[in-house]
Amino acid sequence: MSDPAFLTPEEEFAQLQKLSNEYEPETTGPLVGDRQSSAAIAIEYANADPVYRVKTAALPAKYAFFRTCRGDGHCGWRAIAFGYFEALLHVGDVTKFEVEEARLISMNNLLNLAGHHEDLYIDFAEEAYDLLRKLAGSLQVGNGAGLLLEAFNDYSISMSIITYVKLLASSWIQSRANEYQHYISTDLKSYCSQNIEAANCEIDDVGVAALSTALLKPAGIGLEILYLDRSVGEEANVHEFSQPMNFNGLIPMIRLLYRPGHYDILYKAEDLPAPPQPAPIHVALAYNNQHNFEATTPDANLLSMIPGMYSHNRFQDMDQSFGQRWSPTSYDFDSIPAPQPQITPVQSYAPAPIAPVSASHQDYMSPVHASPMSHQSPASHHSLQMEQPPVQLPFHPAPPPPVSIDRAPIAIEREGPFRPSMYEFEPGYGAGEVMPFQTSQFRDSHYNTCHFRNPSFQPEEWSPHQYRTGNKGRHKSTSQ
Amino acid sequence: MALSTGPRTNAAGSATVAQRLQKELMDIMMKPTPGITAFPDDENMSRWTATIDGPASTPYDSLVFKLSMEFGSTYPYAPPKVLFKTPIYHPNVDFSGRICLDILKDKWSAVYNIGTVLLSLQSLLGEPNNSSPLNGQAAELWDKDMDEFKRLVLARHKTPEELDGAGL
Repeated sequence: MSDPAFLTPEEEFAQLQKLSNEYEPETTGPLVGDRQSSAAIAIEYANADPVYRVKTAALPAKYAFFRTCRGDGHCGWRAIAFGYFEALLHVGDVTKFEVEEARLISMNNLLNLAGHHEDLYIDFAEEAYDLLRKLAGSLQVGNGAGLLLEAFNDYSISMSIITYVKLLASSWIQSRANEYQHYISTDLKSYCSQNIEAANCEIDDVGVAALSTALLKPAGIGLEILYLDRSVGEEANVHEFSQPMNFNGLIPMIRLLYRPGHYDILYKAEDLPAPPQPAPIHVALAYNNQHNFEATTPDANLLSMIPGMYSHNRFQDMDQSFGQRWSPTSYDFDSIPAPQPQITPVQSYAPAPIAPVSASHQDYMSPVHASPMSHQSPASHHSLQMEQPPVQLPFHPAPPPPVSIDRAPIAIEREGPFRPSMYEFEPGYGAGEVMPFQTSQFRDSHYNTCHFRNPSFQPEEWSPHQYRTGNKGRHKSTSQ
Repeated sequence: MALSTGPRTNAAGSATVAQRLQKELMDIMMKPTPGITAFPDDENMSRWTATIDGPASTPYDSLVFKLSMEFGSTYPYAPPKVLFKTPIYHPNVDFSGRICLDILKDKWSAVYNIGTVLLSLQSLLGEPNNSSPLNGQAAELWDKDMDEFKRLVLARHKTPEELDGAGL
């Protein structure tokens, strides 16, 4: 580059213009981000121009969540493509996915008519078909949202799909010349190759209109775009490109937030799948079971197999987990703004009625807890485990484990409204300081205090006595 | 929920680049286009050498031009880097062989491939874009003095054999 000092004003202007044309605002971050509260947008503009401040402040009330798209010059295409798949997931109908795949395949004719060679575009199209199939398959498991996010954060997959939807839009425009020619001053073919198909061009209004008509409308997916600009008004202007259809009460809708040169995805609270009933259920469960214990029901016996299940600390651990893991990123919990306050009452319930019982039993029952494999413990003893203080108890040889610890989650499921979660299925969850035992299964888990990722990390120290209480204890117990 | 991070994406990216180039090589071998050749320099396929024949009834008639093509890990979403290896006198090519062609820059599209690039370059030889020249003198002579233009084209040209002899 030549030294700017020797440039004439025109050259300098041209160079500045060139720099500004090449400027790409934000090329870091995930290609498509996690869903987050749209309050972040308002915060971002808190110190900006008053027009923006007013408009962004009004945003979170209507649009509770948003998702960023990387501003690498593809964000508009990416946002609509992502929204298309996400909307289909929202409808959640396997047939719908199949219909869409068939429809997209039938649109190859359109691409051929526009002069694209099938052997060139089929690779891009295949990625879109693949993702449709993958998401259809995910409906039963329910991990579609994660798969979709993963696919769109894979550079190659997401660029393939973006290229494919660009070709769709371009072919659509070229096949409807009399409709689109009015908006375009040059001839359609060269317009499309320079403004739609070019690898590094952002979507323009014509592209949005074409893509929503070609891809979204026939699928019954709505599209609206909020334009956040300096225009007069207290809210961002909304333009609706496509009207959604109603699928048994589910209305698939893509909402985009446009800031000059950049698109992000917005959500209204009603766009999201209904959140599973959260924490109050925990309260009910814990509360009911305390009554059960007094009545010594068989169910209580099953539950008692879960070591530390009802201890005070156990719930504290869960509290932390909710805060740390679930609220910011998880799909299920995004829509629940603050699960924590709802859970906290548990702590006040759990310890109170049980404490006296445990005190009276502690002496002779401590071996049971020290070795949780002793699942045969009669129902009357379980209360002890509930109130076990978080200290290591002296080890006594445990009886052989007749019931696998893996059974415990089954008991939870049957027990009723306790919502299953991957965390509960993990044996040794919340093992932290509550459970002094280790099995080979969760020895490497970060719930183990010996794991460096555990918040209360405590390196393992060897001592002749403890050695027997470790993993080996399980095997030795049979012989002793 | 792990988002694919940089290195993983790149690895996946270059795998698909190689796949795509493999496919293009197959196409070129199965359906050769007259006047155009292209072949990878080595096994990893990221560098290719291509030739184009000068189009008939242009100053480049019956001349053969050698080019190098380099494919980055984001191909086909970014254009390949294409250079003339054969010295060429042309309004849109500079003396180091760099080419000014929109489809090799911002107008690149993922549906272009090696064949379309070479065909575009071939047509650029006969139809230079004199409004944005890299070689101003050539642009001027093209419009004003075609005989002098032809003389300079031939004076600058080297055959592939001469190039190989010079170790280029």
